[in-house]
Amino acid sequence: MDELDILKKDWNSDKSSYREYTDSEIAPMLHKKSSSIVKTLFYISIAELFLWIIISALPYFLSDDMRDRMEKSYENPLFITLTVIGFVVIFAFIYLLFKSYRSISTTDNTKKLMESILKTRKVIKYYVIYNLAMVFVSIPLSLYFEFNENIEFHDQVAAFNPKQMVVMAGIIVVMMVVFFVLLLLFYRLIYGVLLKRLNRNYKELKRLEV
Amino acid sequence: MNKELEHSFVEQLQKHQNIVHKVCRLYTNNQDAHNDLFQEITIQLWRAYPKFRGDSKFSTWMYRVGLNTAITLYRKRKRSIKTTEFENVQFKIKADEYDDTEDQQLNLLYQAVQQLNDIEKALVFLYLEDKDYREISGTLGISEVNARVKMNRVKKKLRTILNP
Repeated sequence: MDELDILKKDWNSDKSSYREYTDSEIAPMLHKKSSSIVKTLFYISIAELFLWIIISALPYFLSDDMRDRMEKSYENPLFITLTVIGFVVIFAFIYLLFKSYRSISTTDNTKKLMESILKTRKVIKYYVIYNLAMVFVSIPLSLYFEFNENIEFHDQVAAFNPKQMVVMAGIIVVMMVVFFVLLLLFYRLIYGVLLKRLNRNYKELKRLEV
Repeated sequence: MNKELEHSFVEQLQKHQNIVHKVCRLYTNNQDAHNDLFQEITIQLWRAYPKFRGDSKFSTWMYRVGLNTAITLYRKRKRSIKTTEFENVQFKIKADEYDDTEDQQLNLLYQAVQQLNDIEKALVFLYLEDKDYREISGTLGISEVNARVKMNRVKKKLRTILNP
């Protein structure tokens, strides 16, 4: 008889008594708040959605000057295209997120459940990557437009000597890198903490299949 | 959701609540955490209940949702308590000699099981609940062969923990 069989005998005996809940104790439990990782993931995705919408809309509401300039820039087909793409992506994100949340089911087998959760996390990841890419595209793009449209800025930059040009380019690159690294750390932290156990268990299950 | 559904759910859960308690016993190591996990599994069972069709037994269905909640969904962990208790367990196993008395042996066995990882615990749980390899593989989403292989490894691991 091996160890587990000894354990089994005890496990199925009535010796180990648990606190038995009555019907009236169980009923209120159904309506308590869940603290599952899926729920947390859902809140994070909603926060992501609004965060990026707010970030992209902020300049428009923040200053009249910016608004005028942005309205002017909509005469440019490139900006119109980018805006349309932006809206399409937001709607696609909402749809994909909705779809992947619907596919998370506790009645699936453990591996499939983990895969559905990881897939949802991927949808959020791609949305963030898209937004980051847009930030990186829009900074040089807006500088380029400033250069062409804003005479003051144009004259200033044109008067730069090569050394000053290098410094300016350096500052822009450093700022972008710092921004990127900070965001990366931030995301690593949230998803790292939230999904650490899931990732570990998923790896364990995958390892069995090799 | 209507009252009738709630009533029938509560009635069935009340009857089979031992399954949930047993999952909690394996995946937690203090009463607070036990109650907390019991609560979360109950919520998840209730949420999944409208999709429960009578084609499988209520208890079978509970195994799946219960384990999924314990392994994957459950988030509230009382880490500080867990680590100290875990250290105590290791210390105790090393300090105590393997005793003949049944109770002592059982105690050591339960402590050894506590040291397994989440997936290993699930295998042990289903084994203790007398599930066959077909059901174990179906619940975890691995092949029957791999479930068997892993089960043997778990048994070996338990032996190593007990006889370091």
